Amino acid sequence: MPPEAALFRTLADPTRRAVFERLGDGEMTVSDLRSGFSVSQPAISQHLAALKAAGLVLERRAGRNAFYRLRPEGLAPLAGWVDRYRTFWPERIAKLKDVLKDMQP
Amino acid sequence: MSVESPPETVVVDTDLDEPPEKVWRALTEPALLDRWLAEAKEKAEVVESEPGQRLRLAWRDFDSGGGLVESEVTFTLTPMITGGTRLRLVHDGFVHTSCMGALALLPRALRRPQPTMLRGLAWAA
Repeated sequence: MPPEAALFRTLADPTRRAVFERLGDGEMTVSDLRSGFSVSQPAISQHLAALKAAGLVLERRAGRNAFYRLRPEGLAPLAGWVDRYRTFWPERIAKLKDVLKDMQP
Repeated sequence: MSVESPPETVVVDTDLDEPPEKVWRALTEPALLDRWLAEAKEKAEVVESEPGQRLRLAWRDFDSGGGLVESEVTFTLTPMITGGTRLRLVHDGFVHTSCMGALALLPRALRRPQPTMLRGLAWAA
């Protein structure tokens, strides 16, 4: 599966996406994350496992606790869309200049 | 020609020798568009048009996974004292829609100002 498609599949689940966005507030444990969600702790853990597998979340263990945080590099394939046009448009506008030179007044 | 690079936006400014009326024709007449935009013109649909001044396009791409990437392209033409045209192109508003629902290109979490988090993104480096 292309990397973009894998990311969208992972983030397509609304609860999982909410968990991901919640981690934007900073590193937290599963129980920190659980407050505010109506789903069970094991369900949150499952979403975290999927996010981890997709490279979107990192886990850090300290004693009996596991802390989760975002891994923003995981979203790089999405940012690629904007980058693509950062090279596309200057090339096209160079061509536009040629077309303008050839046009009748 | 200059290319600014704020996140999620492409801005290209360029000064052209030709007057706005002529630039407008190159932006809107199909035969002329074919010559510089080529097959990419199929991605565009005119949303708003103020002849000689401003052209706003809805822009659509499909990703390799069948998702849709929607964005917006705006050309703004300003006459210059030299008789030429200052052309500004802004490409922004990127939103990705998969078959399962809409998703902004970067989730809300990453739009908050958190410099340490953003460091990992190629375009924010």
